[in-house]
Amino acid sequence: MKMNLVLELQDIPGQLVSVLSPISSLGTNLVTVIHKREDKNERGLIPVQITLEGEQNNLNAVISKLNEMQITILEVDGVILREKLTTILIGHVIDTNVKDTMDKINGLTGVSIVDFEVKLAGELESSAKLVVESDFGMKKKVLNKIQEIALEKNFLVVSEV
Amino acid sequence: MGFGAVGKGVAEAILLKNDFIKENYGFELNIVAVADSSGSAISKEGLDLKSLLEIKSKTGKVSNYPVYGTDIKDMDVLDNVEYDCLVEATPTNIETGEPAKSLTIKAFNDKKNVVTSNKGHLALFFKELMDESQKNNVQFKFEASVGGAMPIINFAEETLSSTDIESIIGILNGTTNYILSRMTSEGSSYENTLEESQQLGIAETDPTQDVEGIDAACKTVILANIILGIPCTYKDVYVEGISKITSESIELALKEGYLIKLIAEVSKNALEVSPRLVKKNSPYAVDGTLNMATLKTDLADEVTVIGKGAGSLETASAMLTDIINIYK
Repeated sequence: MKMNLVLELQDIPGQLVSVLSPISSLGTNLVTVIHKREDKNERGLIPVQITLEGEQNNLNAVISKLNEMQITILEVDGVILREKLTTILIGHVIDTNVKDTMDKINGLTGVSIVDFEVKLAGELESSAKLVVESDFGMKKKVLNKIQEIALEKNFLVVSEV
Repeated sequence: MGFGAVGKGVAEAILLKNDFIKENYGFELNIVAVADSSGSAISKEGLDLKSLLEIKSKTGKVSNYPVYGTDIKDMDVLDNVEYDCLVEATPTNIETGEPAKSLTIKAFNDKKNVVTSNKGHLALFFKELMDESQKNNVQFKFEASVGGAMPIINFAEETLSSTDIESIIGILNGTTNYILSRMTSEGSSYENTLEESQQLGIAETDPTQDVEGIDAACKTVILANIILGIPCTYKDVYVEGISKITSESIELALKEGYLIKLIAEVSKNALEVSPRLVKKNSPYAVDGTLNMATLKTDLADEVTVIGKGAGSLETASAMLTDIINIYK
């Protein structure tokens, strides 16, 4: 049987090979590999779509191996596993206890901040980029949490459409 | 009524298109009265639009029109002329909706059709105006009030008539889209970019209505009522403008493949105008003064329209379409 995976990989030499090598050693065949380079983000991560063929047990073993290798699996057979939420915060992001802001978001189950970058503008309000990864279905909860924090700390939240 | 940029545009559009309308739709348009803040020009035989436009550009007043120029103003104009359709293009007033509201209701009561580009009275008194037009059995059209030349109201009602529209998400203000586009391409600050836009005549001397999202919020109300059937007024919309957007925030968004746009969201769950992140390669990534809207439908999935959201002749084109739709 066939299985479609969407992984998130670093766009650097060797990364793809390291992911593909367990596939043959675990008794599955590689059918297609599609690099979605147009979706590459600033951290050099790109979604890679892989189609495999093999026995169910062997396919499951590939998933376990990828998890063990800490490779982010975004989708399995069209089912989204991990969601990413990008927001921009504008306000006194640092002065309002930035650790507390991050702890509050990381405190949600199945949620982790994967990128946080602040640009300062002197005495003025600073701008921050916040990228959060969460289990599927948590996106709305994460956004609500961010908005709750923003209300308390007087940030402007610019969220995805 | 109203002979500013939009009113003059309507006169120009009629000059250009009257033969075309006669040929294709079998009727001619005759302008029997034009009013600005100085007074009016009234002639039941019809005014010569070319000389009217010349006089307005030379003297700034339509009341200087030879022979038929008068100092009759505002509501009184409507009592001093026989007409079929009021073309209302007075400035938008978000405090009271006047003078548009009174002019429109008077025209309805006199059993006249009304075509408008105005947003204020619609954003404040949508239901009242619709009820009045229905009670008097007259037509009331306002395609030009949202998105200028970008077709959306007629498009949703007529072209997408088989579908149920669930939401509309779009860029409904050209000035702020221009400012954000320039901040993105130049890396410039909000203040400098606003000043540049004012020098170019894209932003007004008092840019509040545009940059604070008020204009887009009015359009949100109009779309919510007419297309989604959500009874609401201006106060129901959550509004956040673009004046807090920094060049740093735009730079950070770009790194993740996003642009910042002033987005209006119209749905049962949200009536909102706020700066949002949109994907660089998405239909939302339109630059300059363009407007766009994506309509989410049940049968046709997503349909996107793009067009010029402002401009004298562009806005007039939408009003002329409304007029043709009434009389064809």
